[in-house]
Amino acid sequence: MDILSSFYGGLLVVLEPQNLMYCFAGVFLGTFIGVLPGIGSLAAIAMILPLTFYLEPTSALVMIAGVYYGAEYGGSIASILMNIPGTPAASITCIDGYPLARKGRAGVALFSTATASFGGGIIGMIVMAALSPSLATLALSFGPADYFAVILLGLVAASAVANGGALRGISMVVAGLMLGTIGIDLTTGDLRYTMGIPELRDGVHIVIVAMGLFGVTELIVSIKANVGGKSTQKIDYADFYPSKQEWKSLFAPILRGGSIGSFFGALPGTGQTIAAAIAYAVEKRVSPQRKDFGTGVLPGVAVPEAANNSATQTAFIPTLTLGVPGSPPMALVIGALMIHGITPGPRLLVEQPNLFWGLVASFLIGNVMLLVLNIPLIGLWVRLLQIPYKYMYPTIIVLICMGVYSLNNNVFDIWLTLVIGAAGYVMRLFKFEPAPLLIGFVLGPIMEEQLRRAMLLSRGDPMVFLERPISATLLAITALILIGASFAAFRSYRMTRNQT
Amino acid sequence: MPEAAVSETDKTSHIGWQGAIGSALLLGLSLVFMLGGLQLGLGSPFRLGTGAFPFISGLLLAGLSTLNLIIDLRGSQLAEVPDWIGFLAISAALAIFALTAERFGLVPAAFLTTVVASLPDRSLPLFKKVILGGVVATGAWLLFIQALNLPFKAFVGV
Repeated sequence: MDILSSFYGGLLVVLEPQNLMYCFAGVFLGTFIGVLPGIGSLAAIAMILPLTFYLEPTSALVMIAGVYYGAEYGGSIASILMNIPGTPAASITCIDGYPLARKGRAGVALFSTATASFGGGIIGMIVMAALSPSLATLALSFGPADYFAVILLGLVAASAVANGGALRGISMVVAGLMLGTIGIDLTTGDLRYTMGIPELRDGVHIVIVAMGLFGVTELIVSIKANVGGKSTQKIDYADFYPSKQEWKSLFAPILRGGSIGSFFGALPGTGQTIAAAIAYAVEKRVSPQRKDFGTGVLPGVAVPEAANNSATQTAFIPTLTLGVPGSPPMALVIGALMIHGITPGPRLLVEQPNLFWGLVASFLIGNVMLLVLNIPLIGLWVRLLQIPYKYMYPTIIVLICMGVYSLNNNVFDIWLTLVIGAAGYVMRLFKFEPAPLLIGFVLGPIMEEQLRRAMLLSRGDPMVFLERPISATLLAITALILIGASFAAFRSYRMTRNQT
Repeated sequence: MPEAAVSETDKTSHIGWQGAIGSALLLGLSLVFMLGGLQLGLGSPFRLGTGAFPFISGLLLAGLSTLNLIIDLRGSQLAEVPDWIGFLAISAALAIFALTAERFGLVPAAFLTTVVASLPDRSLPLFKKVILGGVVATGAWLLFIQALNLPFKAFVGV
C-alpha cells in the first residue's frame, strides 16, 4: 500500500505538463539518436546533458531516463533492418532480427521489439518500485565468486547460440574472452596484446567488434546477391502485426527476458548488453523454438529487447539507492544529479521521494510514449528496405564509418573495424558464427575481474566457488548443461559418421 | 531485401580438408595468446597475474580448436563460396574512409567511400554513383555535423 501511494505521488509529479513534455522529448530524441549505428545511449545522454542543467532535478532525470531507454530501443531498429547495431546491447537483437528482415518480416520484428521493450520496461518499473531497497541489498551480497559463476553460466549457455554446433560455439566464446583481454589490465596497469599501438590501450570497443562482425561481414556477404536487383518486398500493413499464435509465443519470452534483465540491470557493472546476452542464451535453452534460434524467430528478438529495456530501468536502482553507477550512462546520471546538488545513496528515497517516485512513474509514461511513438513509425522504418540495395549498402557503409569514427574521433577504429570484419567474414566461410564471440567479448572482462577478486579474497583457494551456495548452485547448473551438450554433440557426431 | 538474396548467400560447397583452415586459424590465435600470457606472467592462485586469464583462455581454445581440427579433417566440410569482389569493395571503402576522413574531412570521405563501395554494382552508371556519393555525403553532413553537432570537420582546411 505504501508503495502504491508513493507511486501515485510519483505519477502526479510526472503528469505535470512540463515533466510530460520533457519525458516525450527524451524518448523522441533518444529513439532517433539510438537508430544511428554506433551512437549509443551514452553518447545520446552526453548530447542531451547540457540541456538538463537548466531544468528542475526531477524534469532533468525524467528526460535523461527517456533518452536512455529511447536510445536503447532505437538501437534495435538498425539491428533488425540492416544488421548494424545502433547500441551495443542491440547487437544481440541482430542475431534473429536481421534474419527476420531477410524473410520479409521486418515489420513484425519491429512490432515485437516495440511490445517487448514495453513489456520489459514495465517489468523493470515494477521491480524497481517494489524491490529497490531489497534488490540493492541482494546486489551487495553478491560476492565475486557468485558473479564469476553467473557469468560462466551465461557463457556456457551462450555457446548454444551458435548454429555451427556447440563445439564451434564454445570455441568462438573463448575467442571472444581472449579478445576482451586486449588493452590495459585494470588491476595491474600492464598493457596486454596492444602491439605497441597506443589506440589499443583502452581495448577494443564493443561497437567496433559488433560493427565489424555483423555490419561489415553481412555487407560483404549480401553484395553479390543483391546488387543490380530491386527490392521485392511489398509493404502490407497487415503484415506488421504478429499472428495470434505468435502473440502467444511472445508472452513467456518477454516475461523471462524482462525478469532476467531486471536482475542484471540491478547488478552494478553488468548492464544491458550482458542482460540481453544472458537472456538470449537462456531463451535459446528453454524456448520451444530453440532449434530455430539464429534463423529469425520472434522470441529471439523479443527476449533481448525485453531484457535490455528492463535492465535499463533497474540500472537506476544501484545508481540511486547506493550511489554506485553500474554503467557509464549511469555515471552521467549521477553527475547530472550532483550538478543539481543531489547526492544519490540510501537516503535518496527518504530525502527526495518526489524525484525517486517521479522517475519510477515516468518509466510507465515513457514506455507508453515509446510504444505510441514507435508503432506508427514501423511503416516508415520498413520502407527503408524498399530502397534498392545498390543505393542502400554504400549508405550503410558510410553510416558504419561515421558511427565507428564518432567513438573516439580516430581513424584507427575504422582500420580495426576493417580487420575484424574481414576476420569475421573468413571465419564465417568456415562456419564459425560471430554471435558467441560477441557474447564472450562482452562478458570476458568482468569475468576475469571477478575471478581475480574471488581468488584474492579466498587467498588462492579455488574451493570458494563451491563453498558459497549461490556460486555452487550456478556451477552445478553449468556442469549439467555442459554434460548435456557434450552428450548431444557426441551422439550427433556418431550418427553423422554412421551415415557416411 | 530480395528473396533471391537468401538462397544466393547461403550457397555452400564441399571443400574437404580446407574446411579445417578456420580451426587452424583459431589454433594459431590461441597459441599467440598463450605465449603472450606466459610473457606477461601467470602470477599465483592467490594473486593471478596479468597473463593468467589470457593464458587459461588460450589453453582452452587450443584444446577446442584441436578437437575441431580433428573433426574437420575427418569429415568433408561445408563452407560458403567466398565473394572476393564484395570483400575487396567493402574493405576498400572502409580503407578510403580511414585514409581521407582526417586529411580531407568528413564530406569528401563520405563521398569517396560511397563511390568506392558502389563500384561492384555494374547496374549503376558512374555518374549515378557520383550523385549517390553527393547525396550520402550531404546527408551525413546534415545529420552528424548540423543536427547532432558532433565534433567532425566537414572539410579540412576550409
